[in-house]
Order: sequence, then structure tokens, then C-alpha cells
Amino acid sequence: MLIDRIFNGNDAVYGLTCQAVEEAIAQHGADKAVEFPHTAYCLPCYYAVTGVKVKTLGEMKEALGVIKSLMTREHQLDDALMSGVATALCAEFIEVLKYLDGAEPYSEPYYGHLPDSIIRELGVPLVTGDIPGVAVIIGSAPTAQEGVDLVKSYQAQGILVTLVGGIIDQAQELGLKMGYNVRIVPLGKDITSVIHVVSVALRAALIFGNVTPGDAAALIKYTSERVPAFVNAFKPIDDVILAAGAGAIKLGFPVISNEDENITEVPGALIACPNVADFNKVSLEARNIKIKITNIDIPVAFASAFEGEIIRRKDMQVEFDGSRVDCAELVQTRSMDEVEDHKITVVGPDVDEMELGSKNPIAYVVEVAGKRMQPDFEPVIERKFHNYINCIEGVYHTGQRDMQRIRIGKEAYNAGFRIRHIGEVLYTQVKNEFEAVVDKCQVTVYTDPAECTRIRHEVAIPVFDKRDARLENLTDETVDVYYSCILCQAFSPSHVCVVTPERLGLCGAVSWLDAKATNELDPNGPCQIITKERPIDENLGSYEDVDEAVQKFSQGALEHVTLYSIMQDPMTSCGCFECICGIEPFSNGVVIANREYAGMTPLGMTFSEMASMTGGGVQTPGFMGHGKHFISSKKFMKAEGGIERIVWMPKELKETVAERLNKTAKELYGIDNFTDMIGDETNTTDPEELVAFLTEHNHPALSMDPMM
Amino acid sequence: MPFNQKLQKFNAKINTVTIGSGDKTVTIGGDSTYPFYSFDAPSENAPKIGVEISDMGLENIVSEGIKAYYDGASTIGEMAKKAAAMEGADFVALILEGGDPNGVNKSVDELIAVVKEVADAIDAPLVVEGCKNVEKDAELLPKVAEALQGRNVLILSEKEENYKAIGAAAGLAYDQIVGAESAVDINLAKQLNVVTTQLGVNAQKIVMNIGSAAAGYGYEYVVSTMDRIKGAALSQNDNMLQMPIITPVSAETWGVKEATASEKDMPEWGPEEERGIDMEVMTAAADLAAGSDAVILRHPEAVAAISRMIKALA
Amino acid sequence: MALNGIQIFKLTPKKNCKECGCPTCMAFSMKVAQGAMKIEQCPHMSDEALASLSEATAPPMKTIKIGTGDGEFTLGGETVLFRHEKTFVSKPRYAVALCTCMDDATVEAKLAEIPKVDYDRIGERMYAELVYVNCGEGADAAKYTALVEKAAGLGRTLVLDCKDPEIAKAALAVCKDSKPVLNGADASNYEAMNAVATEAGVVLGVSGKDLNELYDTTAALEKLGNKNLVLDTTGADIKETFANTVQVRRAALKDQDRTFGYPSIVNLVKIARGDLHLQAALASMFTMKYGSIIVMEQMTYAEALPLYGLRQNVYTDPQKPMKVEPGIYPLNGADENSVVVTTVDFALTYFVVSGELERSGVPLNLVINDAGGLSVLTSWAAGKFSGNSISSYIKENVEPKVKSRKLIIPGKVAVLKGDLEAKLPGWEIIVGPREAVQLVKFLKDLQADGQI
Repeated sequence: MLIDRIFNGNDAVYGLTCQAVEEAIAQHGADKAVEFPHTAYCLPCYYAVTGVKVKTLGEMKEALGVIKSLMTREHQLDDALMSGVATALCAEFIEVLKYLDGAEPYSEPYYGHLPDSIIRELGVPLVTGDIPGVAVIIGSAPTAQEGVDLVKSYQAQGILVTLVGGIIDQAQELGLKMGYNVRIVPLGKDITSVIHVVSVALRAALIFGNVTPGDAAALIKYTSERVPAFVNAFKPIDDVILAAGAGAIKLGFPVISNEDENITEVPGALIACPNVADFNKVSLEARNIKIKITNIDIPVAFASAFEGEIIRRKDMQVEFDGSRVDCAELVQTRSMDEVEDHKITVVGPDVDEMELGSKNPIAYVVEVAGKRMQPDFEPVIERKFHNYINCIEGVYHTGQRDMQRIRIGKEAYNAGFRIRHIGEVLYTQVKNEFEAVVDKCQVTVYTDPAECTRIRHEVAIPVFDKRDARLENLTDETVDVYYSCILCQAFSPSHVCVVTPERLGLCGAVSWLDAKATNELDPNGPCQIITKERPIDENLGSYEDVDEAVQKFSQGALEHVTLYSIMQDPMTSCGCFECICGIEPFSNGVVIANREYAGMTPLGMTFSEMASMTGGGVQTPGFMGHGKHFISSKKFMKAEGGIERIVWMPKELKETVAERLNKTAKELYGIDNFTDMIGDETNTTDPEELVAFLTEHNHPALSMDPMM
Repeated sequence: MPFNQKLQKFNAKINTVTIGSGDKTVTIGGDSTYPFYSFDAPSENAPKIGVEISDMGLENIVSEGIKAYYDGASTIGEMAKKAAAMEGADFVALILEGGDPNGVNKSVDELIAVVKEVADAIDAPLVVEGCKNVEKDAELLPKVAEALQGRNVLILSEKEENYKAIGAAAGLAYDQIVGAESAVDINLAKQLNVVTTQLGVNAQKIVMNIGSAAAGYGYEYVVSTMDRIKGAALSQNDNMLQMPIITPVSAETWGVKEATASEKDMPEWGPEEERGIDMEVMTAAADLAAGSDAVILRHPEAVAAISRMIKALA
Repeated sequence: MALNGIQIFKLTPKKNCKECGCPTCMAFSMKVAQGAMKIEQCPHMSDEALASLSEATAPPMKTIKIGTGDGEFTLGGETVLFRHEKTFVSKPRYAVALCTCMDDATVEAKLAEIPKVDYDRIGERMYAELVYVNCGEGADAAKYTALVEKAAGLGRTLVLDCKDPEIAKAALAVCKDSKPVLNGADASNYEAMNAVATEAGVVLGVSGKDLNELYDTTAALEKLGNKNLVLDTTGADIKETFANTVQVRRAALKDQDRTFGYPSIVNLVKIARGDLHLQAALASMFTMKYGSIIVMEQMTYAEALPLYGLRQNVYTDPQKPMKVEPGIYPLNGADENSVVVTTVDFALTYFVVSGELERSGVPLNLVINDAGGLSVLTSWAAGKFSGNSISSYIKENVEPKVKSRKLIIPGKVAVLKGDLEAKLPGWEIIVGPREAVQLVKFLKDLQADGQI
């Protein structure tokens, strides 16, 4: 049905074109030159699709044969779409005939053909996103006002709007200012004039995409991926418009229409949208266009200079305090249709209704949706809230999760700052900074006490618990990829961290989830995916994939790295490690020193002496830098027997890690209170005395296989 | 037993990039050795020298020698002619420092007029440097690229913050050469090249400015960044680091105390003219030793000395 | 093949006797592996272990000492070709050249000029450490010795360029106690020169018409038992000199050819005579690439300021950042009423920030306290540039001396503002720009607003 209509429309246009060309030849002769003004691409669409430059009426006639060959009638969707392309090429032929003999067929307000220079000029803002999209509006809107409102909505978003047919009259009727300089370009009255915007898209592919003319596949790939255009076609849609629309769809431009008769939807390509007021939203979503937000709509300043501002009690209008009343901050991933972009809802009283200097509950839930959004990114986004809210002039924030504290200063309040503005800030910053994963975002801020209690206890805490559980259960075995981290290469050129779920970066600051999020947000950035498909020795944690990655990211300085051994190809260190472990031969185990510990260790070396040997990206078998958290990991020097090898660490460090370390020891070896067996500086810093201490406490390392 | 000479041969090489159009072009890059290691393999193209002039004319120039050289040039076009004619000069670099919004803040139109005047005055290969402010450059440099269509100029430079606007204009729309500027870090340099090529800019039309410093001002970062970039380009065949490197030297060296402090203030230091020249000469020599394929200088004596050094080593 | 600490440890007696000075055998082994100690320093090493280890742990390039007392310098001992691989250890030393071919007035003028350049840059004394005394054609022992004596009067360590063993002997007689270098051995005279240098106990410089001859002569001298050498890599022209210098160093470090494992002498006077700017360029070039002693016609402030700065940069140890001394640095004629600005003591930050502050022309007191020699964000993250450290320094050192109570802090640590306001009652804390280049405008704006 739909396909038949497209074929019909195509046949009709083709017939008209043949007739027009014949008539022109009859009138001017086959040698008559045809060209559009100010382009180096002859008939740009035909040239882009076929690679052939058509310069005379005679050549046009031959070209019609080529177009005919596109018009296959197999009754498949793709035949229909190719017929759409054929229709577009015919439209170009019809249009170029209008320019015979240097005629100027279009005059104010119509533009018709657009010169190459406009494309070069448009290319830059299209690439930068300053022009986030190109709208092609065809036909007459149900009412002039609806049409103009639609055009204006695109204009306000910076989108370039091209108009064909009745909508131009409607715009004129309401006195809308049009012109290239205001990004509203009326092309022409006839449907064929739509080809002038298609011509822009295809020339962009040739100029900006280096697409070879005639390489139709590359051409379509370029327009689909790089030209953010879409079509809004008002009813009634006749067969010819439908055929032209099929051409647009073939180029990757979705068609949105309020037509409801004799039409079938094609998901993602031909979309029914009965209400013209929804065209904008539906179009942007269909073409995946994101509008850049340039300023935050709040009555006070927003800048990092305010990050360190502290609001004292006497300067405070109101405060919110998670340690006293129910508060929470939370990011939740939703599906695309569950989120209305930029919807800010406040549930409960505003600052005006709160008593001066009072303590109140607050909970804000930021719901995000995006094709590439993953629940694992939620905590990464959440962690930025502190920074976002703190950058507001006159507002102060500390803490996180359900323990945050916020103060709003009197000056900010007097300047008009209200609860909704917290939502505005969160919305804008999340959209801007997490553009790569967040397509839509809505914020609900609760100040109603009962709601805050509900959000905290029934929504937020269960989510936090679930996340913690997921972190606990993430193991090296349960994930498919690891990540490299080369954030420190500025200081330590040949160092590469391999971050796994059970071995966070040695600085202690980059977990596997952080690395994963960094990679998604900045695919060319410091964290890259490392596959683990080709294990060499799983006990050592050596993989061909890991070795290749390490070689690549260290520019050849490193060849092999194992994940779980400190004796064989241990992982290198940049210098920002929290701790270093080193082999202690007399007790057949390892000593760990942390950065804060300035004293001597049983190795006869201080932390800084050990650091000078292990830093700078060199491999020093027997020594390795690592994060504090890694000490209680089941993967800690697993190849050498694991945490049972730990014979000494500074008292303070021991206390920090005791709970988790003892838990791991119990799980792995059934040892209770393992840390009691480990020496520290209050026992001894002498290797012989350490052996005596270990013997006395029956430390398991003494009876293990020799480390070397 | 004689010396067993082992040559270090790499199977990779630095891209060659030609700047300029018509008869007067200059080509940089092409070598498959560390800088000046012609004993390992013959050099394809010796490093080149650009002479820098500013839209501000001589207003910010303190050196008497530079002022004397341009004596009699009353317009920017005449200055450009003199710069192109300087002994040892391979190309002219026009810096649009007057565009800085924190400085004189000239309008884009005003600066484009300067650019056109310079381009009309000379047929030597041309490099145009922006005002260093990322927002202004994002606006200014695409217009420069447009105004100089067909001249095949090098546009300095796009940065991480504005690479889309400048990369697309210079590299795609107007077919110029894109200068990619990063802040003395191999990974940032590489990342910028990656995203620039992802825009669709041909890797063979990119020249890097990996950042620079005057000798004594954190120069160790410059050395190590260049050493590592050349190493990765040649031994790892990393094609996202094989772009030739251009280093604007004078903008750094003529601003440091060693060059600007007057003899009156620092009598024991002696004449500032000589200090300025040597700061420029020594920084440029170090840049070339580390891996710059082109340097941008100002003082005629510095240009001549560096030119003699390049000739002697090439 | 270099050994790692564990491999060395396996061969030690494992007694923890501490006689080597290290608390444990493991600590000793790690130091040997790093090249910080020699394996021979262990008194209990077995002969077999010593034999197998000393070859493996011997450095690829010898460390040569010249001069005495304040004028003692260490040359060579490098382990890498590029500084990012590991720190370069022995800075090149610069020599100003004298020659018997100069007339007395020229010599006097040079001798008067050399001591003028002598200054401190980030804790390092900068001056021409060496004087190169060339025995020109036709000079006899008396003439040369007289010049050497004059040069020695300056108190700088000497490098004697003399190929005649008899003249060299005479010259050394007057200066050998200060341990000069005798640069004079070549294929034709090495046996005699070796005897002269060995007898005087000084380092011998070797040269050759090409790399092969240099190599053979060096090997012959080593055979005679002399491993106290430096190699004069100066060739016929600039290109050859560069090729020689690079290849000698590369053969030693990359190809482990120990015959070339010695420091170098590069004589710029020979290859760029009279062209001072070219010499400046080449001095920079050879500072970057492998000159150990670099000989120049002059070292005025014009050459010294960039060159010593460059050397200081290239030879920095990344693990020991360059730091400036804590203190109050008044700029642009500041007095006690001028506003206070603070940043970290990392030398690079200090230089960049102070340069911009000076450019602003606004009188201000730049306060630097100990921030561990790290950049602003790094030291902040490490807790070394904190509300506590800044406020206690200001209370103890600034408040007694400066009346102004306005403090500008770097924009990158805007987060400290509140903390500082709490800890420094009476002070107004102003958040400055994030980047140094924005300082000039920032300060001028503040000044225009009458805020400072």
C-alpha cells in the first residue's frame, strides 16, 4: 500500500521530468548547457549519487535512463526507498531547467538553489553542533499559528529551518522574519524545490566527508550519520510528497507527519505524530539531536570560584541536613519514554514557606534516559552533585547519598534563588557533562517531609544497598573486559594501570566502574577497553590481550604484565600509589608500607626508598605499588598465595584494612583475626625479630612454599 | 677491532606536509630518523624557519634589532614582504594577537582585513596564528581559513576546546592545513589528532604544535614530550603521532624576564638585545634537537643563526 | 643484561650483617640494581658471585670525576638516551676557551669576564665551571705553562688541550693537583700521553680522525689499563661532531659497547669559530644531545641565562621537583600595604606566575610556602597546599610584616576560600583566575575597581 503509493508518485514525477527534458531539447537543442549557479558540482545530487557530471540537456536525457534503472519494482521497502532517491533526482532535473539561460527563477522570499559557499559556511556550525540540526518543513500546517510556532521552536534551538510550500505563506501571513541570517530559509513553492536542501546535504558529504562522487553507499552513510536533518510534512500527503519523503528516509532523514489516512508507520523513519505541537520533540528524538545548553537559568552566578564558599549560620536562610532529617540525592536510569526532558518538579514547600534559619528535609531524584546510559554510571553522576551545587553562588553543599547538607544563603534567597533552581542546576550540568550518555533528564526535588522520608527509606537506601552489593559481587571473572588507565602518563610516561573489578588503580582513585564510565564518556580518553579473551595463565593473570594493550599504551616500554603476581612481570607504578608491598625473604612473605608511614620497615627500606625503586613505570619484581583497598582483595598477589603472605604493615594501615582483610582471610583460609598475626612497627622493624613474632603467632606464610 | 657502527633504522616516517601554493611552497616532515640523525638515514626535508609578524605591528616589540629590520615598513603588507625576504626565512607566520578579548580585542573583520593584506602582499607560504583565546579563535580562525581559500595555509591552531570549529573549517570546508595544539603531553597530542581525524580531516593535512616553553621554563616537559612522540611515531609506527611538529618559539622567548629585563634594571646582565637573541636561538635549537620540524622566530639574527645551524647539520 | 634486585639478592650471603651500610641484604640488592651502590661494597660476597655479578651490574657508561673541592665534577654515568626513561645524572659542564694564540690583552679580558657570570637559579650555582686551555700551533712549553698558570689563577677546573707529551707534562706540573683533564691522546701519541696522564693522576681526553680511530685508540688505552678517559668527539665540522657525539653515546647505552662508555668533549670553538650565535645554538643542541664538556668562546649572561636554565630543566629528576624557597617576594615595588598573592613552591608554577604578576605592573607581595614542590592541584590533593598550611604560614610569617589583609588564592583551589576565611580572621580571601595567563587582566580589573 505504502510502497505502491511511493511507486506511483515516483512514476508520476519521472513522467513529468521526461516530458520537461524533451520539451527543453525541442526548444533549445541537446547541446544547451544546464547548470545551477555558484556550484562546482554541476547537478549536485545526480553527481553525488552517480559520479557523473551532467552539463547539457542531451546528457540529462541520457541520465534519465540511469534514473530509470534505480526505479526497480520488486515491492520491497528498499525498492521503494530507491524510487524515492530517483524521485529526488528527477526533482533536481526539473529544478535545474528553471535556471536555463542564467534565469533567476526564485526571488524574495524564496531562495531556491543554495551556492557552495553557504555549505562551507554551514559545515562548521553543523560539525560543532552550533547548528544542532536541519529541519525541512513541507506543506501547510493546520493553522498558520501552529506552523509558525513550530518554526520558531526550532529557531530557538538553533536549528536551521528550511521551508517548502504552504508553510511559507503561513509564515508571511504572520509576519515571521525569514532569511538565511535568522536560520529560516524558504526554498520554494513547489515540492521539487525541496531538492535544494537535499543538494546541501549531499554536497556536504562531498566537501566535508571526502565522499567520492558515485559512491552511493558512502554517501548515504555520511548523510545518515553526519547530517542531522529531518522532515516535517503536513497533511495532506500525496503520492509525490510520499515518494520524495522516501528519498529523505533513504538518506537517513526521518519523516514526521500528522497525516493519518492511507499511510503506514515505518519505525524510526516514517513517524505519525497527530499533534503538530509535538513535532519538535518527536523529531529531535527520532534524529537523536541534542540541544546544547549554554546558560543555567538561575538568579545567581554559577562558577567554580564559588566552590569554596562557606555559608555561615548567620548568613543562612535555610538549611537541609541529612544527619538530622531525611534527605537523599539519587540518580535513576529510566527508559526514554519515562523521562520528559527538562521537567523540573518541586514537591513540597519552597524556601519562602520555610522558617528563617530552619533545618529541613530535601531529596532530589534525577531521572535520566539515554541509549548509552547504564545504571553503573549512576554513582559516577551522583558524585558530581556536590561539585554542581557547591558552584552556585550563595549555596553550600557537603556530603553525599543520604547524608548531604545544603545551606542556602540569605543573599542567594534575596536574589530569588528557590528550590526549583537546584533542579535547574542539576539538569543543566548533568546534560552538559554527561552528554555522551544522557539524552533526557528530569529532576524532582522533594521538600515535603513525608515524601522525603519515603524517598530516602523506600527508594534511595535500597538503591544504595543494591549498588554496594553489586560492587561486592563484581569480580574479575564476572566481567568481560578490563580497562587501561594512563591518567598519570604526564608524570610517568611508560606506566599503564590495568584496572579490574578486584584491582582498582594503584592511586586508589579509579575503580573499574569509574574507568568504565570514563571510557563511555570520553571514548578517546585515558581509559580504554582491554579485552581478556586470550588467557596465557589465569593464575598469574596474564593475557595476550593485556600484554598487547600494555605494549601499545606504554609505547613499547612494557611487554608483559601479570595481574596477580608481584614476582613475575608485576604491574608497574606511576608514583601515586597509596601503598607498596615488597618481598621479605626471611619470613617468606611481603611487607606493605603506606605513603603516610615515614618509619623503617623490616625490609630495611622506608616507604620513600621503596617508592624510588617502584615508581616511574619500571617493573621491579618483588615490589609493587597498589591501592589500600586492594590489600583485602582475593586477587592480591594471588599467584604467590594471596593475602596469607602479608607479614607486616604499619599499625595505622593495619587498623584501616583490618575488617575487610580479616573477612577475606576467613573466607579464603578459615583464619580468624588474621591481622593479629601480622607484625607492625610496635612489634618490630627488624627482619629476624619479625620471624620470631610470626613464629610465635603461627603465621601461615612461614610454612608456605618459598617465594623465590 | 673497529667500531661496530649500528644504524637505527625505522620502518616508519613522519608525514610530509606542504604549506603554500603555486611556486612558493615549503615541505616539512618526511624523516625516518631522530632529528638530524642523517647518519642513520638521509634526511628528506630539513627543518624550516618561519618569521613571525603581528597584526599589532611593532607595538609589542622591544628588540631594537627587530624594529630596525622593519624600519620603513609602514603597513603590515610591507612588513610581511620584509619578513619573507629575511635571510634564512622559509615562510611567514602572522600572529593575530590583537584579537585577544583580554587585550586589544580587535574584531574578526578587522583581523581578516590584516590577513588579506598580508596574503596579498606576499606569495611566500603562510602560517596564521590565532590570538590564543579559545572562544575567539573558534570564531576567528574559520574566517581566516575562508579568506585564504586556495593558499593552502597552516592555521594555528585548534585546541581540544575548539577543534570542531577550527578543524572543520580549516581541514574540511576550506582545505587548509590544520595546526593541532596541545599542552606538552603525548596523550593529549594524540587524542587531539584522533578526534580531528574523526571529524574527517585528512591526517596528512595536520601539523602538531605540542606546546612549547622558553629554555628554563619547564622545558623538560617539552623535551620529553617530543622525544616520546618521535619515538612512538618511528618505533611504534603510531600514525596518530606521525604529524610533523611546528613550534612557535618567539612568542614564548620574548616574554621571559631574561629577554625583557632592561640593562638599566639588570646592569650585570648586559644588553637585553643579545639576551633576547640568545634566548630565542637556544630555545629554537633545543626544539629542533628534540623534534620540531619547523620553528617560528622573530629576530633576524636568530633566524640567520638557526638557519646556519640547520644547513650545517642537514 | 641488567639484573633486578631479587636476582642480586639470591647471590648475597643473606646475613643482614649491615656492614655495607644497609639494614638488610634486600635493601642492599635493590640499591645495587638501581646502580646506587656497587656489588663490591658487600664484604661477604663469594668470588663466584662477584665475578658473575660485577660484569652484569657494571654501568654501561663510566662515571668520571674531574677537579677537586668545589671544582669537582662528575661526568658520564648515564644509563639512558632519553630523559623520560630515567633521569639524566651528570650535567654537561661548560668551558670557556683560552689559547696560546691569543694576545695577552685578550687573555686578560677573558679572565676578567669569566667570573662575572656567577648566580643562583633555584638553588643551583650557575657559572662557567671549566676553563679550556688550548695549546696552539707553535707554542712551547714555557708559553703554554704560563697560560695554564694564569688560567689556574681563576680557580676553575681546567681542561688542557695539548697533544705534545712534553709540553703537557710541563703544564701538568703546575696544575695537576687540581685534577684537570688532559685532552691530548690520539692514535699517534696515546702511549706517551697515557704515561703523562697516569703519572699526574688526571683524566685523559682521547680524539681520533674518525669514529673508528677514536674507538681503536680508546680500546688501546683501556688495554694499557687506563679507564679514566673522556672522548673528544669533535669532528671536522658541525655535522660530523653531532654524528660522533650521538653515536658514541648510543653505542655505549643502547648497544652496550663499553669502549665508548665514556663522557664526551665537544669543542664548539673548532667548529663554529667566531660565530657566537651559532655557538649558542650548538651549545643548546649538545646540552640536549650528549655533550659532557662543551667548549665555547665565551659565557656571558646572554648565553648563560637560557643555557643554564635549559640544563637545569633537562637534568631535573622528576622525582625531586624543582622548588623555590618559601618567603615573601615583593614584586613591582610592593610595600607592606600591597595585596598578598599566594601560590605553590613548584619552580615552574612560580616562574610562570611571577612572570605574569610582573607583567601586570601591580605592586603585590607574592607569598610562597612549602607545598612540597608540587603544582597547585597536586599539592592541594596531597594536602600540602591547604587551609592549614597557608593560614599558619601567613600568621607566622606574613602578618608580622605585611599590613594588607587581602589574599588572592589560585582559582584552582577556590574550594579553600571558606576554610581560609575561617582560619584567617580579618583577611579578605579573593579567588584568582585558574590560569596564570589570566592574571594580568584579573589584577588590572581589581585595581581599576579599587579593590586592591
